[in-house]
Amino acid sequence: MQNKAIDFKRQVNIKLADTKLQDALSRLQTRFVEGRSAVISEIHHLEDTRTAAAAIRDCVLNDLDSWLQKFEQQAIAHGAIVHWAETATDANRIVTEIAAQHNVLTAVKSKSMVSEECGLNDALEHAGIKVMETDLGEYILQLAHEAPSHIVAPVVHKNKEEISDLFAEKHQMSRKTGIAELCLEAREILRPAFLNADMGISGANFLIAETGSVLIVTNEGNGRLVTTLPRVHVAITGIEKVVPTLEDVTTLLRLLPRSATGQSITNYVSVLTGNKDAKAHDGPEHFHIILLDNGRSSLIGGEMQEMLRCIRCGACMNHCPVYQNIGGHAYGWVYPGPMGSILTPLLSGLKSSPDLPNASTFCGACAAVCPVKIPLPDLLRNLRTRQMALGLKSRQEVLMLKVWGWLTLHPRIYALATKIGVRILAMMGGERHLLHTLPGATGWTDGRDFPAPSGKTFREMYRKKSTK
Amino acid sequence: MENKVRVGFFVTCLVDSMRPHIGFAAIRLLEAAGCEIVVPAQQTCCGQPGYNSGERKSTVSMALKFLSEFEEFDYVVLPSGSCAGMIRVHYPELFRGDPELQQRFTSLAKRTYELTDFLVNVAKLENVPGNFKGTLTYHDSCSGLRELDVYNQPRALLAKLPGVKIYEMVESTTCCGFGGTFSVKYGELSTRMAENKCQHIAAAGVDAIVGGDLGCLLNIEGRLRRTGDHSTQVLHIAEVLSGLDKDK
Amino acid sequence: MSARDNILSKIREARSSAPQNVPAAPIANYLALHQRGPSPPPPDDLVTGFKKRAIKLSSDVLETSVRMEVPALLAHYLEERKLPLRGVCWTSLVGLPWGAAGLEMLPNPATNQDMVGVTGAFCAIAETGTLMMLSGAETPASTSLLPETHVAVLDPLRIVATMEDAWDLLRLEYKQPPRAVNFISGPSRTADIEQTVTLGAHGPYRVLVILAPP
Repeated sequence: MQNKAIDFKRQVNIKLADTKLQDALSRLQTRFVEGRSAVISEIHHLEDTRTAAAAIRDCVLNDLDSWLQKFEQQAIAHGAIVHWAETATDANRIVTEIAAQHNVLTAVKSKSMVSEECGLNDALEHAGIKVMETDLGEYILQLAHEAPSHIVAPVVHKNKEEISDLFAEKHQMSRKTGIAELCLEAREILRPAFLNADMGISGANFLIAETGSVLIVTNEGNGRLVTTLPRVHVAITGIEKVVPTLEDVTTLLRLLPRSATGQSITNYVSVLTGNKDAKAHDGPEHFHIILLDNGRSSLIGGEMQEMLRCIRCGACMNHCPVYQNIGGHAYGWVYPGPMGSILTPLLSGLKSSPDLPNASTFCGACAAVCPVKIPLPDLLRNLRTRQMALGLKSRQEVLMLKVWGWLTLHPRIYALATKIGVRILAMMGGERHLLHTLPGATGWTDGRDFPAPSGKTFREMYRKKSTK
Repeated sequence: MENKVRVGFFVTCLVDSMRPHIGFAAIRLLEAAGCEIVVPAQQTCCGQPGYNSGERKSTVSMALKFLSEFEEFDYVVLPSGSCAGMIRVHYPELFRGDPELQQRFTSLAKRTYELTDFLVNVAKLENVPGNFKGTLTYHDSCSGLRELDVYNQPRALLAKLPGVKIYEMVESTTCCGFGGTFSVKYGELSTRMAENKCQHIAAAGVDAIVGGDLGCLLNIEGRLRRTGDHSTQVLHIAEVLSGLDKDK
Repeated sequence: MSARDNILSKIREARSSAPQNVPAAPIANYLALHQRGPSPPPPDDLVTGFKKRAIKLSSDVLETSVRMEVPALLAHYLEERKLPLRGVCWTSLVGLPWGAAGLEMLPNPATNQDMVGVTGAFCAIAETGTLMMLSGAETPASTSLLPETHVAVLDPLRIVATMEDAWDLLRLEYKQPPRAVNFISGPSRTADIEQTVTLGAHGPYRVLVILAPP
């Protein structure tokens, strides 16, 4: 998928003015923030569990090559075929080749952010394969030709009226207005697609090294249908998703749905190991697993490695006051919110995502809820430091920081400068002690007054007082 | 406290230049708690603006300057959660490669406190001198809350004032949108976050919005005034607790 | 070099330049331990605990102490809801007196036409109110997936406390995992439209657990 993060600032203004979107985003608070808070406390030793989860992820990442090989060995031993893809283009090519090899004409997909990362649907359509998204949200987006705006609730930006209109237009059926009716209509349209598809494509929430299994969590059941009915199943996922044992994955499972949707467990957790044996009635005859790097390996061993702990729950964006106000599309690539503001520059280019590391107040709400304790603000700050080192910051900002840095290290001149500064601003503030506009800070004063300083600095007053 | 402890007071650059009386208010509270206060004359800024903008070099110099000025005290107290967080959480991280310095910064960090945290957990202030009468709501600033666990401390101190009634607003722990340079760089976004906060304040129906970080308070005040609210008082917790709420 | 070698050598190189990334223990040792993370204390009573959780996740639960009464219970459940009285069941359940209860149950894997699918379960997990199903020749996964109503006949003695206990039971009784292990916790659902929960997305609209001894 093309990175459009360069357009962030303009998009922010569009999104802030979009009242329908604002209305839709208000549901994040009740459904996801309150939902999480209601069930996360069910975990008896929450802090210990988060710590254990982070340790499991670190254990794998610190020895990722060995764990990947262990996973591969076990997966192959159980009948899966493992492919490695260095780039998104490679991954698309591999899926297309698998499709050709098995004479695949139609494919059904369950939700996969990695496939969004690759732009897989376009690649398959280009190769003449009909692909149908089956996660309700992703299906709606496919009809609307839009990208997901949330990694768990992809269509959170749309209201049901828009979906009613879309279904009526695309399905050529009478317009349904109830949510249950809309769901039923999608079910009835998609059921034949499941039954007739040659290939099922899924992501993987985790790869289990012990058994060589792919683990998928879903609620709708489409994940099960996609991985049970078609004769070929392709699971595509990032190389960082390995977890050592079934016990370890259990620890992560206690956190994932609770953090994501406020569920104690998703309706379905499927652990898929190998292809079907000859006697079985269902299951794919061919099970392919694609392990995608696409820049992930460059995070290993460095100051950004902790980002690879991410289990894609979306809690960071649900709790992010920036995301809550602009939604996911403004971020310009596959992953929005705090995790996206880190992953997009890392996987898709820091230079083409100049705003993402900076569009954060460092409020820390994301890190406080992250189930695997990723220090998201620290990682964002690391990216800002990289921007500074690489000369990607505006000259004006660099100059201001230089001047400020110099002043603060020269206390006498600092004292003089602040003394003069506060007097001028105090004067400008007038009787109401408010500045309605401030040159160089219109970003502030366009929407807020700037309260004027009171006219003297603490340090001069204190010195006067103590020398009296 | 048994023996008079020596507290190094760091006023913070924002209080220094914008609202000096908050500094005096904080000192009054610390004196009421029986502390000996020293205000190092050459203090300037903790370095947070540069640090959060990715400018590490000058931040390191500022941290070293801070260390040389404040290391001698029993405690260091600041009327700001975000500056206290800078010293407690981030200074030691800056010196990971230098065990000797890191040890000194860690020791400094352990003795550094946000004002209300210090008053409640170290000084155990019993008699709060303020005389505020009215209703107020408390905004929990992000760094104080999430880096230093400051939540109950200001509320406990406010509860000691018989004239104060606290009405909690919804989402008191949600960011107000200040975020230092964020407030200027992403003005529209910052303004929207401030607006959300102001609506929660309005819904609480109080005489005053109180907080522990001047940056957030200026942001909130700026939005309240721009939208025509000239009556809701915007006060730093030190002002309310000390009874010193006017600039002289 | 292959993509595989490139990726692995990139990781290896990055790792060797990062001194903190020392593997804790050889992988074989790690795997052999099957170390558990923090887990919830078991409920006072596994059956009560399971029922409570399962109902919370919108499963229906019925109980009988006589296995032969399962068909009658199911018939009553289906009649009450005006659901079809025929469907498919796992072959292990073909011996129950379905016909006597007015039900028609064929021992076939489910197709799209079947409205009721009756299965057993490998075990159930009290912690989450979950049925654990293993796929296999005699235990087709489609039976719990395609029909609108999924009925699972569960031996209450096969309820374990935690997910970890379920994995241990799997290891004890099978040398290797089946093609698919499915945890089922209630009927399929979606909340994609306006974050409003709707039961019956692509899978069953209802899940009925009948607790009955073997």
